[in-house]
Amino acid sequence: MLLTAVGQVSPNPQQARELYRLSDPALSELGLDELLDEMLIRVRSALGVDTVAILLLDEESQQLVARAAKGIEEEVDRGVRIPIGRGFAGRIAAERLPIFIADVDHADVLNPVLREKGISSLLGVPLIVEGALLGVIHVGSLRPRTFGPGDLGILQLAAARVAPAIERARLFSALAHEHRVAVVLQRSLLPTRLPEVVGVSIAARYLPARDEVGGDWYDVIELPRGLLGIVIGDVVGHGIRAAALMGQLRTALHGYALEGHPPGYTLELVDRFAQGMPEPAMATAAYAQFDPETGVLRYATAGHLPPIILSPQETRSVELVPGTPLGAFAYSRCPEHELRLNAGETLVLYTDGLVERRDTLLSDSIENLIETIREGETPEDVCLLAIDRLMRIGPGRDDAAIVALQNTAIPGELRLRLSAEPRALTEVRQALRRWLSERGIAGDAWREITIAVGEACANAIEHAYSPAPASFELEATTDGDWVTVTVRDTGRWREPRGRNRGRGLTIMRAAMDDVDVSSTAEGTVISMRRRLSAR
Amino acid sequence: MNLADARFSIHGNVVVAQLLGEIDMSNADGITRALLDSTTNDALGLVLDLRAVDYLDSTGIRLIYSVRESLRTRGQGLRLIIEMDSIVGDALRLSGVARHMAVTDTVEAAIAALRDS
Repeated sequence: MLLTAVGQVSPNPQQARELYRLSDPALSELGLDELLDEMLIRVRSALGVDTVAILLLDEESQQLVARAAKGIEEEVDRGVRIPIGRGFAGRIAAERLPIFIADVDHADVLNPVLREKGISSLLGVPLIVEGALLGVIHVGSLRPRTFGPGDLGILQLAAARVAPAIERARLFSALAHEHRVAVVLQRSLLPTRLPEVVGVSIAARYLPARDEVGGDWYDVIELPRGLLGIVIGDVVGHGIRAAALMGQLRTALHGYALEGHPPGYTLELVDRFAQGMPEPAMATAAYAQFDPETGVLRYATAGHLPPIILSPQETRSVELVPGTPLGAFAYSRCPEHELRLNAGETLVLYTDGLVERRDTLLSDSIENLIETIREGETPEDVCLLAIDRLMRIGPGRDDAAIVALQNTAIPGELRLRLSAEPRALTEVRQALRRWLSERGIAGDAWREITIAVGEACANAIEHAYSPAPASFELEATTDGDWVTVTVRDTGRWREPRGRNRGRGLTIMRAAMDDVDVSSTAEGTVISMRRRLSAR
Repeated sequence: MNLADARFSIHGNVVVAQLLGEIDMSNADGITRALLDSTTNDALGLVLDLRAVDYLDSTGIRLIYSVRESLRTRGQGLRLIIEMDSIVGDALRLSGVARHMAVTDTVEAAIAALRDS
């Protein structure tokens, strides 16, 4: 009942024509599904059989899965699975040899579809590419029949024809799948919206490599007390694993940063986190905390490239003791540096994808990057200039990330237009505190004006209870010893209700020298003045 | 971003809540609920530590009143810990409610005051 391959096959002229039909160059133009379909039809006609089927190996389960069939299409529809080593197809796969069954003893056949059809004779060969088993192709006849060496030769030719195509398609789809997964993963991990803070302008970009994803990331974090955190990082390696690792490190850093830890300690915590991961993880990262009120930049780096500060005076790359990479050495320390970012200056953090060239010194590459971006007036410009240069470099580039933060000057007159939502209050406080500080206003006046303006804005937000999106405006000016703040909304003034209401107005009157509330059909205007000296 | 954080600890039959960050209309309701939920029925009362609060407006004062009212109906007390020379102290003073508040300097003194009352 067993038949093994018989050396060289010399087909007769009729069979030779059939062989030629199987190696038709046009077949290589077809997609895998069409190719298999076409191949099965030709095999069926060449051998004059009733059924043809291709089963492919599922590596994970070590089972053969029906992929394409003629005459027994149900096999595919039912998703028939045959364990390696068992039944007719399973034995072909296990022994990697052709098997011929002249008179099918149903005990030998696992496949219920073959049994139901009443197949009498079967011939099958393995699909092998470069020593690796891909699956099995087999043919069946309803009437008892002997398959000779010529028949075997044709089936083997068909196997040799489809196996590489299957392998190519598999590799292609596996790679395409990996790339797709990694790109989606990476995109989902990058911030979708950057915070908007008065007096600060931020832009960032991530550029994936041409053919695979990497482990670069950036992050912008709104921290307690009006601080802003910006992060850049680069996981060693590429592909899904690097992207997934990036996600873990980015999340860990984001979480520790939100706890309010200083930059150096935050990176040390992420380092301990990386040390504790089951697989070795190594990355470089830098984390800067910017205080818009004071312009102070607290900066720590774990083996990352030096930051660039673009300044109207002197643009420079800031050389700092970089600390050791995350996950590299146990209990490594991450020193913290205090820098200043003055009004008009921009901090630029970037990954090596933006600077590393095989034939150039790193310091020269950083100089080149500085040259490229120094004319950028806004963070958005800076990112565009850097990315444009990278795109010109062409294929073979690494992935790259860049994030830029500019301390934008606050003008003498503060004017804000904000959406009438509770979260606007934070924005008002941040902008006002900075504006007051820049005018040298401190102490009691600073605190009391902040509270009074907060009340006026809360009032404007409470007025805007209509379903339509509403906004309000704030204007603050100084004139000699006086600070004047005006808050305008488009809602109707509501008389204070309830025992605990009306306290806002009390606070405003106590904190400021003059408070004027005027309400018209167009809206409510609260105008307040406060004298800075000798109250 | 969450503007404020609340940290709770239990000292015998007194609950101590430390608030950190900024309190305004965006988070006052959530904080009120958290304070009332964490002060269980078997507690004598709540100590509210506001020393780490960086901003508090009239909504925050309403929060204090509403927590005090709710605790009172359950027969529980409220003690505040406030640094009077701070923005929180300013808010209480400017709104004229400072003198109506039972204010203490330390957690220990606040707990003792709740137990004595």
